[in-house]
Amino acid sequence: MKTSTPLLGPWQDQPLEEVLGLCRDTIEEADFSAVDRWRATGGKVAGHFQVYFPCEVAHAAGMLPVKVRGAPVEPTAAESRFGSYLCSIIKTSLQLALEGKLQLDAFFSHPICDAARNLAAIWGRNFDYPAQIVYLPQNANSAGSATYLAHEYRRVARLLGEISGIEVTDERLRDSIRLYNRSRELVRELYEIKRETPWKVSAEDGYALVAVGGLIPVEEHIQLLEAVLPALRARDANPEDRVRVVFEGAFCEQPPLDLIRLVGRSCYIVDDDFLIGLRWMTEDVPVQGSPFDALAESYLERSSYSPVQHDNRKPKEKMLLDRVHRARADAVVLTAAKMCEPGLEEQVAYVKALDHERIRYFLSEFEENASSFGALELQVETFVESLLFT
Amino acid sequence: MDTSTSIVGRGNRDGARLFREWFDGLKQAAEREERAAYVFVMGSLNEILKSFDIPVTFPEITSLQLAVRREAHEYLQVAEDQGYSPDICGYVKADVAVQLMNGEHPMGRIPKPSMAVYTNACNTYVKWAEIWERMYGIPIFTLDVPGHRQLGIHTRPGDEQFESDRRYVETQIRELIPLCEKVTGRAFDIDRLRETMAHANTMSRSWARILELNASHPSVFNALTDGTIYLGVANALRGTEAGARYFQDLVEEMELKVASGIGTLTEEKHRLAFVGVPCYPIFRRFNEMFAEWGGTFVLSTYLWFASGGSNRGYEYDLVDPIRSLSEGLLLGVRDAMDSMFDQTTMIEESLDGFGIDGVVYHPIKSCRTVSTGLADSRRALLQERDVATLFIESDMMDRRVVSEAQLKNRIDAFFEGLVSRKRHVVAGGR
Amino acid sequence: MAYAAGVDVGSTQTKAAIVDEAGRIVARSLTDTGANVVQAAENAFAMALDDGKLREEEVEYVIGTGYGRYRVTFGNDQVTEISCHARGAVHLFPKTQTVVDMGGQDTKAIRVAPTGEVLDFCMNDKCAAGTGRFLGAAAAALGIPLDELGPRALASTRPVKISTTCTVFAESEVLSWLGKGKKIEDILWGVHVSIALRSAGLMQRVGIDDEVTFTGGVSRNPAVVEALEQRIQKKLNVSEECHYLGAVGAALFALDHILASRAGHPVEGVK
Repeated sequence: MKTSTPLLGPWQDQPLEEVLGLCRDTIEEADFSAVDRWRATGGKVAGHFQVYFPCEVAHAAGMLPVKVRGAPVEPTAAESRFGSYLCSIIKTSLQLALEGKLQLDAFFSHPICDAARNLAAIWGRNFDYPAQIVYLPQNANSAGSATYLAHEYRRVARLLGEISGIEVTDERLRDSIRLYNRSRELVRELYEIKRETPWKVSAEDGYALVAVGGLIPVEEHIQLLEAVLPALRARDANPEDRVRVVFEGAFCEQPPLDLIRLVGRSCYIVDDDFLIGLRWMTEDVPVQGSPFDALAESYLERSSYSPVQHDNRKPKEKMLLDRVHRARADAVVLTAAKMCEPGLEEQVAYVKALDHERIRYFLSEFEENASSFGALELQVETFVESLLFT
Repeated sequence: MDTSTSIVGRGNRDGARLFREWFDGLKQAAEREERAAYVFVMGSLNEILKSFDIPVTFPEITSLQLAVRREAHEYLQVAEDQGYSPDICGYVKADVAVQLMNGEHPMGRIPKPSMAVYTNACNTYVKWAEIWERMYGIPIFTLDVPGHRQLGIHTRPGDEQFESDRRYVETQIRELIPLCEKVTGRAFDIDRLRETMAHANTMSRSWARILELNASHPSVFNALTDGTIYLGVANALRGTEAGARYFQDLVEEMELKVASGIGTLTEEKHRLAFVGVPCYPIFRRFNEMFAEWGGTFVLSTYLWFASGGSNRGYEYDLVDPIRSLSEGLLLGVRDAMDSMFDQTTMIEESLDGFGIDGVVYHPIKSCRTVSTGLADSRRALLQERDVATLFIESDMMDRRVVSEAQLKNRIDAFFEGLVSRKRHVVAGGR
Repeated sequence: MAYAAGVDVGSTQTKAAIVDEAGRIVARSLTDTGANVVQAAENAFAMALDDGKLREEEVEYVIGTGYGRYRVTFGNDQVTEISCHARGAVHLFPKTQTVVDMGGQDTKAIRVAPTGEVLDFCMNDKCAAGTGRFLGAAAAALGIPLDELGPRALASTRPVKISTTCTVFAESEVLSWLGKGKKIEDILWGVHVSIALRSAGLMQRVGIDDEVTFTGGVSRNPAVVEALEQRIQKKLNVSEECHYLGAVGAALFALDHILASRAGHPVEGVK
């Protein structure tokens, strides 16, 4: 690890509750103090917008990959760069950079949606460092997709190597893959706790433990989870009479922590698509052969799903139903970020599939900026009551 | 002069007729219960599809026709009743309604799809095709065309990066061909492909020439109104002999107008560039609000991206058609994407050549592809050049967000400023 | 002595102003627009004539502005309120570079040249967030007269954050804060800050220069002035006359016409 002091602050000797509180505070603060601490030691930072980015490549170049996922801030300066009918995350992400709260050495967006693709150009007009699109293949089913993607990753590796001065060799990349494999394995364990013993970890803590991984070095994230997961398991907590739900619709813009907390008060969120890009690979990425090819193939072949990736093999409603069944969920909290074209379009198909399977769902739209949830709370509680009393 | 009277206005007359005939053909196909390939304006792959004689439908065009005919709102409502959000693309919703109503459309019935082929020039194409996939169980084919990675950094044929992208596109074209064979039950004929590509070459070459001719004073066509007629033919008839001939005739007409100093219907006081997608719900009136002040559109980014980037006049090499098609598709679609995300430089470069007095930005609710970055693009242009600009928002389908009074207020204020700006320039001020 | 008049028919109020040949404001008036727009324009003009003790014949040229400008049936011409506010603002505060005009149903940010000509402008779109209407909705929800809103908001000690930008939902959010026991003053300040944020965003689009003049009906509200100044970190030019600047600008355009006709160069630019 580059620094001896953890970027999160001195968490190692703290009790579990303190560590969880630190994670929650870290992901909620819009000042990115963890990233500042990295920069203070001379480290370079690669910001990557939602959904998926090959963090291993940035890590192998000695850089800190930071997930750019908006924030509940007022996008006053960014508003002047955008039109009226847009999701919040696009605007607040730029706002963080315009205000200087998020300082980067490179920024990456993806061709995932029409707004995100525009973001790279807008970012490029406003900042001097490289602002690029990592052109993830939109055709996941061509014989040429993996070769093309590996080539694209090599291009990104060259750029990041130039910025950091550290060449991304196959060996370095393999080492990074090993580390990320371990962190993903731990995140899968966390999801197992959420699924099997959801009373041992609150919805917002489960969220924060994953999200913080988008802000700190993978080594520190591994240490954190290795310390926290056993402590969670050892918790003396009893199951309560709550509804088991899947939370779907947070693949890009993130619901505010208060909203997750609100749902968690009356439901167990036993699976979800929160920050799905950080958990995109469902299995270890192979460390044999070319690591670029391995990363590219894993992206296509051993991965999750989202409304912004079309894959003939992954009809989204079938994927959602699988998730619901695997998690033994009773119901679905089906959300979409306001003004999110792909999310809102997918909702229609999800609703139809859930209706067909007679799975109950609660339908809603959210915005990361919301701070008052009176109306939503009323609806969620009514929904839960209707499930518990019928 | 007899020839000139028959030639001037021919493009609009013939364009309307060809468009009507194309639509009638679709209607007849629908009545015979035949199916069509559903394609899109940015990278239609008409060259391949026409070589298989597959009828093609452009759902974007059928949707916008509903708005022009002032019937869009009823269709939008049908889709919204099905759970589609008011905040998503109006083209998608209008088409969903057309499908739910068994192809019913004021211009005649639309055939059902046999397959859908689309690029990722607009991501909503993908979401849209997924809807048909669910409705009809048809094969849908994403032909992924990687765009430029960074503002201002462009790759060219022969570059290592370009060739990697091109090979990816070529692989996909080679995968599309067997799918077309399967859907039609016909064998691929490379010489037929050469024919459709040759027609497309004529069309692209002519289109580039026509756009360039509008730099003359007075301008020879209105890029917003006349231009949209030409676009209809450019898309519907790409890869056909009739389409190629139409564009050759159009070059003849425009060259004649330039030579004779014949302009458009508007008394040209202010030459404008249009950036975005037209306001179809009040299409005619929208243009009038500019024409009343003597404003005419000499250039429009819509004519660039909605022709799939064929405005650059790229011509295929027929010796190696599939390789060349992949190169042309990559260059064209990429250029179309640039004219949506990164048109600042393109506009800036045209200001002097086209003698442009003002730039009108028209982002719309429905289309984030085109609209997301326009405010920033305008900001960037103003940093570089002292030019009058107007920023107005409405929609290309949804009349609920089109307020004529609001638009007129802003357009009037824009011209008031433009007139006083010109007066100061004349007086030697500023 | 000839006089020129401007009549600004806004969505809530109609204003009229008369200037003399030197461009001095000699009369002005204010009335509610109501349902009869034509009548409101006539009333405002008649009241302005009264105010300046002038006869109608003495006013040589009248220009209508505001959303009802085409309903100023006795007017000689029309100019948009965007051009008029810019002109009026520069007239009153000659160093003005940016104008923010906040009215009943829309807010405009305008960048102006020293001559008063509009260089760039933008307006809020469909949504009434950040306009006077937003304040009206909050006032209605709290049962407070409109002109008491500002002073009471300034008495806030622990502001709340209003998250909605929707005028319709503002009402329910205000009520929900009341339900949580928040003080009216604190909620009101939150409402004013929310408006300031929205209008500051608009102003950024045209660029916020050193000298900013605040015009339109909402400029009379001291809490909006305060919140906006805090937001953009600049002192605003604002005076009691700012409410009338649309009409004043229109009167100045009318005066241009009179002077140009006299000199034998009719003004082109107003159609």
